Formats: sequence, C-alpha cells, structure tokens
Amino acid sequence: MKNFLKLTNFELNRFSKIYITLIGLTLVMQTIGMILLSSSYMSDVEEQLAMGNSMEWITINLGTFSFSSLTRTFWFGGPIIIAIVTLLIYVFFIWYRDWFGKNTFIYRLLMIPTARINLFFAKASTIFLMVLGLISLQLVFILLENELLKILVSDAFREDQSLKQIIFNFDYMGVLYPNSIIQFFINYGIGFMAVFVIFTGILFERCYRLKGILFGILFAGVSLLIFISPILLQVTILNEFFYPIEIFILMAITGLVVISGSIWMSHYLLNKKIRV
Amino acid sequence: MNIKLNSRDPVYIQVIRYFKEQIATGILEPGQEIASRRELANKLKINPNTAQRAYKEMEEQGLIFTEGNLPSRITKDEVIIKHVREELILEAVNTFIASIQSINVPLEEAVELIKKNYHKNPNEQEGNQ
Amino acid sequence: MIEVKDITKKFGRKKVLNGVSFTANKGEITCLIGINGVGKTTILNAIMNLTPINSGEVLIDGEKIHKESYEKITFIPDAITMLPQMRIADAMQFMADFYQSWNQVRADELLSFFKLDPNDRISSLSKGNTAKVNMLLGLALDVDYLLMDEPFSGIDIFSREQIADVFTSHLVEDRGVVITTHEISDIEHLIDKAVILNDGVVLREFNAEDVRENEGKSIIDVMREVYQA
Repeated sequence: MKNFLKLTNFELNRFSKIYITLIGLTLVMQTIGMILLSSSYMSDVEEQLAMGNSMEWITINLGTFSFSSLTRTFWFGGPIIIAIVTLLIYVFFIWYRDWFGKNTFIYRLLMIPTARINLFFAKASTIFLMVLGLISLQLVFILLENELLKILVSDAFREDQSLKQIIFNFDYMGVLYPNSIIQFFINYGIGFMAVFVIFTGILFERCYRLKGILFGILFAGVSLLIFISPILLQVTILNEFFYPIEIFILMAITGLVVISGSIWMSHYLLNKKIRV
Repeated sequence: MNIKLNSRDPVYIQVIRYFKEQIATGILEPGQEIASRRELANKLKINPNTAQRAYKEMEEQGLIFTEGNLPSRITKDEVIIKHVREELILEAVNTFIASIQSINVPLEEAVELIKKNYHKNPNEQEGNQ
Repeated sequence: MIEVKDITKKFGRKKVLNGVSFTANKGEITCLIGINGVGKTTILNAIMNLTPINSGEVLIDGEKIHKESYEKITFIPDAITMLPQMRIADAMQFMADFYQSWNQVRADELLSFFKLDPNDRISSLSKGNTAKVNMLLGLALDVDYLLMDEPFSGIDIFSREQIADVFTSHLVEDRGVVITTHEISDIEHLIDKAVILNDGVVLREFNAEDVRENEGKSIIDVMREVYQA
C-alpha cells in the first residue's frame, strides 16, 4: 500500500508541470475570453445607446449577454479540448515515456521491491486524480468567471444562469458533469474502465511488440463485448426481457468483470512477459 | 609495491613468491606488520579471495603469523627466513644451471662469466623473474 | 548462490539462449565472457525478470525471484536507471524511498569516492560519470548479489581504474558479483570464476586460479582454446 502511494505521488509529480500549464491555460483563456467578449458586447451596447436606442430595443435586437455567450466560443471550449487531448495522449505516454528517448527508467520501476501491479494502479490513479482535479477546478473557474461577468456587464443586459444551466447549455459538458450521482459513477466508471483496458493493451504491445498490438485490440474488443453483453442480449435473443434497473445491475457486473480482467491480465503481463 | 603479475601462474602463488623475495632480501623485516588481505587486494588489484588464499598459505608455511584480530606479521623465526632465502637462491641457481646445460656451457666458463658480469647490472641483483 | 538452470530464450526465430547453466556464489566475482551479442545482457535481464525466458529457471538462494528479491539482488545495467532530469540527489532520494536496503552512509561515501556532485543533473553528466552514478545506485544497496553489465564499457581509463578499485574494496566484499565484459584484460586478476559463452551455451565454466594452477593457462588462453574448438 505504501509503495502504491509513493509511486502515485511520484507519477503525479512527473506530470505536474504539464498539469499546472493546463490549469493556467484554462483559467487565462477563459478569463481573457470573458473579458474580450463582454467588452465587445458592452461597446456594441454603448454604441446603440449613443445612437439613441432604448435598453429594451437593445435587449431585443442585440440580445442579452450570458455565460453561454462565452461557452460557445473557443475561448472557453478550446482549453477544455486541449486538456482532454493532452490527457488522452498521456494515457499512453505515461507508459511509453519510461521506455523511450533517453529514458531507461523502466528498469528501475520493474526492480522496485513491490508488486508490479502497483505500477499499473499508480499510473491509473494518476490519470483519475488529474481528471477529477481538472473538472473540479473547471467548476471553480466557472463560478469565478461568472462573478467576473457580473462585474463587466450591467444587470439590464445580463442574463444570469445557474451552474446547472451553464452546464446544460454547453454541448457535451453534461457528460462531464452529470445531473445525478448515479450517472456520475456510470460516466466516470466507464471512463476509468476504458483506461484500464487501454493500459492492458499498452502492456500487450510492450510485451509482444507488433503481435502485441493485435492482442491488445483483441483484448479491447472482447472487453467491450463482455461489457455490453446485457444490452446485446436484450436487443437480440431475449427481446426486451430485462427491466432497466436489471440492465443497470448486469452492466455494473460486466463492468466489474472487465475491470478485473484488465487487472488480472496486466498483472500476468507485468510479472511474466514484460521486457525492457 | 613493485610486483608484476602474469596471467598464467596462479595469482596467489605469485603473491607468496613476492613476499618470499621481500623476506629473503630483508626488505620485509622479521616481525614487521603487513597489509591486511583487503588492502593487499586493493593495492595489487587482485581478487580479495586470492589475497586470502595467499595469506592462508603463508600462514601455513610459517612465513607470517596473526595474533587475534591484529594485523598479520612476518615471522620472527630466523630458521624459516634462512630457508626462504636458500629456497630462492637454489631455485635461481637451478634455473641457471638448466639453461646453460641446455646450451652445453662447461662449468668453469660459466663461473668465469658470472664473476665478470655479477657487478655490472645492479638491477639484476634483486633476483627477478 | 545464484543458479541459472538450463535457460532458453528466443528472439523471434533466433534462439539466443539455448540451455545456459551456471552458478555464481556469494563472496565471489563471476564473469560472463563472450562476444557482443552472444546473450550476456539477456542472461542478466533474465535473472532479474526483466525479460521472460522460454524454459529453464533461475534460483536466487534457492528461491525463484519475487518482489522482495529486489532487496537481495540488484542490477546495474548498461543504461542509467534514473530519469535524466533528476539530480543525483533526487535519484538517491528515490532509492531511499523505495528500498529498505538503501545505505545512505555508503551512498555518501561513494559520492565522494567517485567525486560526484549531488546537485548535478544526470543529463549533464559525462559517460564516465553516468556510469559511476549507476554504479553508486547499485553499490549503496545492502544486497547480497550485484549484477553488472559491462561496467567498463566506453569509459575512460581513470574511471575504469576507479571502478576496478571498487571491486577490491569493502564495497563488494562478501557479496556475490556477476559481471559481463568483453574486456577481460582489465580484470583477469579480479575474477574468481569465468563462464565462457558462445552460440547460446556455456562452453566452459571454471575457477580462474584452479585453471592457472592445474593447466597453467590464463583466462584468455582458455578463451582462445574453447572458441577454436
């Protein structure tokens, strides 16, 4: 357990520079976006007012300014996409960086007096913690940016939105910030399951190189089939047999099966087949 | 320590031989402290087990003795020291005899040559291989 | 004692190790000798479970390798086992964090013996100094067995002498050391046992002093002999 924590701490530190950069980038871009967009709106408003138009006229013809005015632009979504892409790449890079370039750090990692599966868990935990960290911070940023909005745009022209509305209005953000706890566990559970399966695929490649890529893809395919098998059964053979709650429970089980399978397979590969 | 090791003779024997020469010529005095096995191994760049073996042999031959945990010392036994000297001399003499016999040099001629050349090269007086 | 028992290994179609067996005792320096590519590194990797073998087994003090083994045996490979951006001090801290057998006193001793500055980044070090850091990381562990892959390769003569110094010092005493090299001349007199490899098998395994005594041959003589057979 102690070694797992030490390794996780180590992995987090290794990524900290990039992580801070992502956080900084997000805050800076979104803030700049907020400032630019609201200033531009307000100067349009000033212009209209100077031309003699009433506030009412302006709100109807120019529209009001809300947080969504920001979220639909690249200023807001851009850093999020960058962060997602970076983390996706890192899901792979977190392993490959120990083998490539001038690094032969994998020697050291494999010779630590600890169960090798801890390497797997530490890297997975690092990804999980970073994802959770980013989405939490994003919420905080939204709240901060919203306060900024209130300062920059006067009441009359502003349409205030609750956090829920902000999220709802931003495409796909609802996936990251689901409405219910259950949905949260489902979304992130599937995401983490996917990370485990990808990790196992990576280990297949590291053990068997070219052949390994095939094995990895096969493994992912089988895992997917196992996971969605309740649904497959539902729509084919059994013909709407299960209640939704039963599907949910069944898939929770198949999900656990896939996760266990990943862990078991990775454990085997790390101990018996891995090579520097 | 001026010892040249070859790779064909057992190292421990070469070490013992070196000590015998040092004892015979009096460079290592009776009762003098010698380096520990490890120090010796380090100085000569040899395996510590080899140094250990050399010391063990020398101890068995009575060339050195060790009291408790103190550093090993050269024997104080005059008889043994004399024997060592004789052994080395005899060895050199026999080697010499064998080589001149193989080219059929008569004894008188050999002795004459020895008398003439003995003092010429001081280096050769230390007895070398 | 490290026992390598009849290990085989294929890389693709090629059988690199075709039944290699030998033993290495604690308190002795065992040297694996062979031309480049013969599989010396592969054998060391196999002992440490850093590469899988197809058949055979490796026992360390009678046991197959497991996670605690890494507190008893360590490997100093040809490449540095730390991140290039780490300072030497960071690397040592890492070892202290993860290994109970890490001996900080000995590590500090080695730092000054090798004349290394703990604040230097590993990426900025010369080849010779990198090799020394690597060696430090292994020697400062209180392990029973040390495996070293080509500790003398590609480093200047003064560094090589320092490393040879290490072999005759208390840093290595009582431990079982297995090294690989193709530069035998540097260490003829340091080796207890030689294991000559060729074509995936052990051609001859022998005690250096015994062969000198009984056959009048140096290690290099034996090498010449077995390679020509």
